[in-house]
Amino acid sequence: MSWKTAKLIFYLGTLVSLLLFLGLTVDTHRQVETLTNADRLSPEVVAGKRVWHKYNCNDCHTILGFGSYYAPDMTKAYWRLGGEGIKAVVRNPEKFTTWRKMPRFPATDRELEDLVSFLKWTSEIDTNEWPPQDQKLRPVAGRAVALGLSPGATLFQEKGCFACHRLNETGGLVGPDLTRVGARLPYETIEKILTDPRSVKSDAIMPPTALSREETDALARFLAEMK
Amino acid sequence: MSVPYQTQRVAYPYFVIALLLFLLQVIVGTWLAFNYAVTIPQWLVDVFPFSTARAIHTNLLVLWILLGFMGTTYYMIPEECKRDLYSPKLAYFQLALLTGVGVTAIVGFLFGWTKGKPLLEIPFPLDYLVVVGALIFLFNVGITIIQARRWTVIQGSLFGGLVFLAVMYLFNLPYYNNLTIDWYYWWWVIHLWVEGAWELIAAALTAWILIKITSVPRETVEKWLYVELGLFLFTGITGTGHHYYWLGAPKYWLWFGGVFSALEPLPILLMVIDAGHYVRNRREEIKGKLIFTLATGMAVLHLIGAGFWGFLHTLPQINYYTHGSQVTVAHGHIAFFGAYVLLNLMFFYYAMPKLKGLSEFDERRGNLAFWWLSITMMLMTLAFSVAGVLQTYIERVMGMGYMTAQAQMRFWFAILVVLGVVLVIGVALTVVDLFTLRPAVPAERRAG
Repeated sequence: MSWKTAKLIFYLGTLVSLLLFLGLTVDTHRQVETLTNADRLSPEVVAGKRVWHKYNCNDCHTILGFGSYYAPDMTKAYWRLGGEGIKAVVRNPEKFTTWRKMPRFPATDRELEDLVSFLKWTSEIDTNEWPPQDQKLRPVAGRAVALGLSPGATLFQEKGCFACHRLNETGGLVGPDLTRVGARLPYETIEKILTDPRSVKSDAIMPPTALSREETDALARFLAEMK
Repeated sequence: MSVPYQTQRVAYPYFVIALLLFLLQVIVGTWLAFNYAVTIPQWLVDVFPFSTARAIHTNLLVLWILLGFMGTTYYMIPEECKRDLYSPKLAYFQLALLTGVGVTAIVGFLFGWTKGKPLLEIPFPLDYLVVVGALIFLFNVGITIIQARRWTVIQGSLFGGLVFLAVMYLFNLPYYNNLTIDWYYWWWVIHLWVEGAWELIAAALTAWILIKITSVPRETVEKWLYVELGLFLFTGITGTGHHYYWLGAPKYWLWFGGVFSALEPLPILLMVIDAGHYVRNRREEIKGKLIFTLATGMAVLHLIGAGFWGFLHTLPQINYYTHGSQVTVAHGHIAFFGAYVLLNLMFFYYAMPKLKGLSEFDERRGNLAFWWLSITMMLMTLAFSVAGVLQTYIERVMGMGYMTAQAQMRFWFAILVVLGVVLVIGVALTVVDLFTLRPAVPAERRAG
């Protein structure tokens, strides 16, 4: 190979790739506006991102698959846990973890609200259907398709029950699997547990749910039908 | 034999600090593996979480590799320019500044002072001091090159890589409100460092060493260096796209990222073939067997780690399942080790004896250290890979819970704790050996 060819490979290779890359970057900036719903980047979402950085969440968790691999990916955490679930875990991580622990952070209520806004916004980014394991929880028009469309099922997802309980192979391992809970417990007992867990099981670690009467009824009926 | 230029001596303290940080890095790394394998009590997690240790582990890596590159550059530039360094004082000041920033940052992490972005946690205003340190370095090296008025391709590649490295760090300084854009430019720092700027530096240093130890004509080496750099940059720049599959960027990145990054092993392969060619056509006996072993080891593990393990999960069809799993960790460890740890060690073993005035040194411990580190790192990579395949299958393909998968992977992390301890011993051996290099024992005395 001659010197001339060698130099040509260097200059041409570098320049072609650089121009292509910069061109695609400009176009990406344009499309990201839509793909990430940049119009919904409210002050709360941005403040929530700062909370995410402040407690260095990303050096245990991944988000968009990036970061550390010690704890679950948070891209679609809002689908899995809902806003209440996320807040519950950060407030009392020791109640939701077993053999791998999460630190207790001195996050304020304001910070938790912002963090939830941020993770809700994150869950709506068009990630080309990544991560695969969370796709079954993808909400359609605000409802959980995976669970059917009953109001109780929606509550189960939105109130963060998945943080501890499993339904059809999905959800946390802290509380009992509720896939066939209707076969074990009658409606009345489920309703009592939802209102005050300790009235049924004195050492329950589950916090009382802050649901209205109608919500409790809907959720209890949904669970009682899980047979 | 000593060094031809007195100012090359500034390299020595850079090497010393880099080596001590290397040792600390692998100790913290072993603690991380321990966190995966064993339940750490809540009170300890509250005060010293995994996240803090991980920030320390990765920042130590970046810091010591960069200090190694800088020391190496200070050693090489006077010889390459055939004149003394512009200002040794500035070089010492820069070392003190960067080490001070690094140590402050690491102590700060322990108290929760962080930017909260993986690998780039160093918070404001320390990150600006890093830029100051880099500018002093570029100034010092740049002035030396300009005053020498002797232009070589190796200089150009090295200096170009260093400028490229510094410029890319600037993309870390703004605050991005949009998470997707934040990660988009995070990769401009991380990817364009390790698959761009650092490769230029590595190629230049390797070419320089090859000329030194084989006496192959500079003409040939530099011509092929052009070709390699062209291929590195052609595949590497647009290859950044393999990080843009799932972060909220347009779909065409699956094509551009996939195709360009699939070509990324080519320049590495060319480098290996090239080096082999020079060695076979060498004009005199190779000076220093250990350097030759390290160079060969580097070439092979660079190809395996960055090339093969990278190629394994770079295609979108596979990456959809492996992205952000322990497969990434496996690739990260062997790629950094093969490409940049061994490069630094090779240069330390080349330069430190000369800085101590040894023409030949006892290579036995160094040889043992090389094999110890390389074999341990390869086994670690395999353990991470098994864990990664388990995670990929259980969590991503079967769709079971994150912790369900982690429970199945626990055994492999226990293995990694053991391997971590073995690696720490290997690194300690390397550090001690480099600090206490002895003259070679003459063959006849060894035999007797």
